[in-house]
Amino acid sequence: MIVKADRDKCAGHARCWVLAPNLFELDDEGYILPGDIPIPPEQEQLAGRAVRACPERALQIVKD
Amino acid sequence: MASQSPNKGPNVPAHVPPECVGSFNLYKSPEMRPTPFGDPFAAVGKLHEGPSVFYSPETTRDGQGAWIVTSAEDQRTVLQDGTTFSSYRRIFSSAIGEDWPVIPLELDPPEHGKYRSMLNPLMSPKRIAALEPFVTAKAVELIEGLKARGTSAEIMTEFAFPLAVSVFLAFLGIPDDRLMEFVGWANELLHMGPAERTAAAHKILGFLDGMIAKRKTEPGEDFMTFLVQAELEGRPLNDQEIRSIAVLLFIGGLDTVATAIGLDLYYLARNPDRQQELRDNPDIMPSAVEEMLRAFPSVTPIRTATRDVELSGCPIRKGDLVSCPSMASSRDPAEFPDPETVDFNREDNRHTAFAYGPHRCLGSHLARRELIIALQEWFARIPPFRIKDGTAPITYGGFVFGVENLVLDWS
Repeated sequence: MIVKADRDKCAGHARCWVLAPNLFELDDEGYILPGDIPIPPEQEQLAGRAVRACPERALQIVKD
Repeated sequence: MASQSPNKGPNVPAHVPPECVGSFNLYKSPEMRPTPFGDPFAAVGKLHEGPSVFYSPETTRDGQGAWIVTSAEDQRTVLQDGTTFSSYRRIFSSAIGEDWPVIPLELDPPEHGKYRSMLNPLMSPKRIAALEPFVTAKAVELIEGLKARGTSAEIMTEFAFPLAVSVFLAFLGIPDDRLMEFVGWANELLHMGPAERTAAAHKILGFLDGMIAKRKTEPGEDFMTFLVQAELEGRPLNDQEIRSIAVLLFIGGLDTVATAIGLDLYYLARNPDRQQELRDNPDIMPSAVEEMLRAFPSVTPIRTATRDVELSGCPIRKGDLVSCPSMASSRDPAEFPDPETVDFNREDNRHTAFAYGPHRCLGSHLARRELIIALQEWFARIPPFRIKDGTAPITYGGFVFGVENLVLDWS
């Protein structure tokens, strides 16, 4: 599973980082680093929760 | 001014079809007025029985009409698109007959992003952690003070405002010996008539200009010092930019966090079972605070359309105001299952207390930590509490929802 982060949509709510700080890295401004985020199988459920917690819908699961 | 149509009641512009006009008003509807033991949030939640977008005459503080957007999806459309929906409104400068934006709140992209990138690192979730010891110490000091004085207290003036404002003043580098005076200024600016508003704006600007001048010659470790030393695209900020940023942070920190503390304790005081839930499961406090931010958010972002645009079938015209109450989108059943239930374990809680889009509340991470610490320290020190017999908290709607005269009793 891969999570795609849309840096243009990210507004720095940091809800993904609060739920899964080891998966979702923030830059110095507190916004998501752009690009694809590979998710280890055992963390897929957690990653799914983080995706659904994004108020901007800036995160998308692109591969199952 | 747009011409009026006689068929739709007063103050409805000609381009607004009659079927798009709603009767709800953020200031004047019965539940929005000051109400003993009121629940203005439930009243806004009921808007989801109607259309996602409707026109409300006289729904801003200065009596202008606006489109009110209730659904989370449409609010996301509006608030994520700063090109079509401008933030430039001169809320502060108009009070003193001037014309400049508070920065970055009233700037649009791409200009907005430059200032925002400069300020973001100061308020990032990681950076905010450094302020936690101060917040905790202040919360403990205030609560212990209340306990020493008795078994009841008016929470807004004795706990919520002193905590929120002293944290923010410390961040800005402003001494808190005039704390309640500043709270008074904010109240006059945000909640009172034109004359008080103008006087308050002059007092705030005069004070901030003095602070800016002082920090130029006596630098400290604070935000004001950061501003006078900051560089934007290779040049220092000019005095107008510095005061425009300082004004925003000064106002932003004065009212909203205190309001949230008050609204949370107002809810908990009337729901002893929920108090017990937090005492039995102290670990859920961060999640409970998120849920109360969803259930009781206080702010309504307003935008101005920069072109004609249709939203959920409504013809918004260039120049129209578009109002996005956070308390509406946060109770949208399409976004939140069972939105009227306050569920401390709610998952997927993408609430809108801090708005959507590039203008997401700059102070949101500090606000969250303050709320969590305030309630954790409160529950660690105060036994079960209730509204004091014979008193009546007053809720109100408007530009910033809130509660006053909140006397809690823990005898």
